[in-house]
Amino acid sequence: MSIARTRPVSAGPPLAAGDARPVRIGARSASALVIATVFGIGAFGWPLLVSPDSGIAHGLDAPLIFGAMLLLVVAVVLALLADGGMDAKAVAMLGVLAAIGAALRPLGAGTAGVEPLFFILILGGRAFGPGFGFVQGATTLFASALLTGGVGPWLPFQMLGAAWIGLGAGLLPAVRGRREVALLCAYAAVACLLYGFVMNLSFWPFGLGPNTSVSFVPGDAVLDNLTRFAAFSLTTSLGWDLGRAITVTILVALTAAPVLRALRRAGRKAAFDPVVTFVPQR
Amino acid sequence: MSSTGARLLGARLPTHPMAWWIWALGLAAAASRTTNPFLLLLIVAAAAFVVVARRPLTTWARGFRAYLIFGLVVVAIRTVFHIVLGGGYGETVLVWLPEIMLPEWSAGIRIGGAVTAEGLASAVYDGMRLATLLVCVGAAVTLADPRRLLKSLPGALYEAGLVVVVAVSMAPALIESAVHVRRARQLRGTSARGSRAFRSIAMPVLDQALGRAVALAAAMDARGYGRVGSLTVGARRTSAALLLAGLLGLCLAGYGLLDAATPGSVTVPALVVGVAASVIGLVIGSRRMVRSRYRPDRFDLRSALVALCGLAVAALFFLTELSGLAISHPSTFPLDWPQLALIPLIGIAIAALPGVASTPIEPPPELTQGPLVPNLLAQGVLESEVGVGHRVADRVRVR
Repeated sequence: MSIARTRPVSAGPPLAAGDARPVRIGARSASALVIATVFGIGAFGWPLLVSPDSGIAHGLDAPLIFGAMLLLVVAVVLALLADGGMDAKAVAMLGVLAAIGAALRPLGAGTAGVEPLFFILILGGRAFGPGFGFVQGATTLFASALLTGGVGPWLPFQMLGAAWIGLGAGLLPAVRGRREVALLCAYAAVACLLYGFVMNLSFWPFGLGPNTSVSFVPGDAVLDNLTRFAAFSLTTSLGWDLGRAITVTILVALTAAPVLRALRRAGRKAAFDPVVTFVPQR
Repeated sequence: MSSTGARLLGARLPTHPMAWWIWALGLAAAASRTTNPFLLLLIVAAAAFVVVARRPLTTWARGFRAYLIFGLVVVAIRTVFHIVLGGGYGETVLVWLPEIMLPEWSAGIRIGGAVTAEGLASAVYDGMRLATLLVCVGAAVTLADPRRLLKSLPGALYEAGLVVVVAVSMAPALIESAVHVRRARQLRGTSARGSRAFRSIAMPVLDQALGRAVALAAAMDARGYGRVGSLTVGARRTSAALLLAGLLGLCLAGYGLLDAATPGSVTVPALVVGVAASVIGLVIGSRRMVRSRYRPDRFDLRSALVALCGLAVAALFFLTELSGLAISHPSTFPLDWPQLALIPLIGIAIAALPGVASTPIEPPPELTQGPLVPNLLAQGVLESEVGVGHRVADRVRVR
């Protein structure tokens, strides 16, 4: 028969009842995620890690070089995740959730720190698992940048940051009911603050330039640089980051239960888990 | 130009989006190699000239002004930061601001104090460089709709690209759906506010959207979207191994760049191997997708010319920086008047060249003439495959 095709699909560990896993993480994509995370730590934290006589310690180069490399890294991870099994149902569900995130983003523009995008990302990652969360984070940020014209050198960083948030939401321990909502609220607060912090850190030398007293000094003691960074954050984005963390946490607290219920119901309806295989006729 | 020449240069084909991106990134690379304010202004002028001459006639292409304004904001922010938190760079004092003393642990942070001409110049130059970079990216976004770039993605990223296309085409529908639900509520005379309004508006919209996703999946499945082609187990393993090796190489190169103690003989090969393995892995992985493309973008001679212009500008600016630092980086301490030189000016002329040499934009055909669908196709309204897909999906109901 011509359509005879057997494709190995990793079964993965047994799941809690009702949790669909549209994007499976196999051994390959797991190792890719680990390497990408290690790379991402370097790319985000470069001001604290760079040695003063490194060629990229000064000027604009580091965020641009790391941004270009990050784009390739995210592309490779997405390719490996897709190769592990991402069918039309997963694509459609991701597309719709990314659309919701992208449509929510302009609502926050202009209001300090209100960025409702993250709450649908956290709930999506929670309902559909870490692999789905990763892809959802990366694609939501990309799609919303396309829609709002926010394409710039910061986009690869935002994509990886949001992808981490979705991944982390999928990796949270399995609890249900009120404890789940509380867990998600705590996660939302921490994740949003950390996101703002690392985004700021990687673009601090880039955005501010040298020669101010809160500027990045390559190779200075980590503590001194951190103090200056804290002062920079305090004067620029702390209000923004706190605003985002608070709104996202409140949104999660109010809506986690009904939204998760809707997502899980859709997951059951889509029936992601049964795998159709064609067995050749003998 | 003779008609043969025009045909040879592919006069009919629109410039490939990738060519615009290469051109713009070349300009951005050139801008990152200089802090000369005149050169930076000239780069912005060249980019703006090309944008005005060649921007497509879509609503999408109106965003260039926003990037220009954003650039000005960046320069302003930098200047304000320098004035308020300046680090006492330079000696020509313009103004003394009242200074606030901070305790010892504040790592030398200073608020207020002397504002110097040298410091201001360096802040403005540096801010202008960043602003120019943003304007270059804005030019690329304006000239080449990133949604068209998605069509040229390698097959290995097909699903991720498809997700973005679905998201971009569905986001407006969601807002429309929210408006419908709200109107329905108003007609029923309910006017709850706060969290109640959320439940009664957002939840139906979410449920509708999720239902739409399931229907879209069925429609796509029925038409063979996301179908995996015939890639042997060996080829899949090779692709995955190359991708993982590429990731490792990139990771190694990244940390090599950070640490000056790592010899270049480790970093450079790691970077080259990392990029090469990733790209080859993506290419091999792309073969698992069997798909045909509707109206593919072609990279013709004119597109190649546009891309080459960008690369040439970058090369000329690198050359200028290597040969004479005073032109690329005018001294701010002591403060000198920035000079210009022939080589970067040639670079600027080349940067503006695509404004006349690339394919002109054709006005879209009038909607009222001829049948609707071919017109929409010609305008690219019906171009995205998924756009057609979910119109179909709307009619498919899954039980």
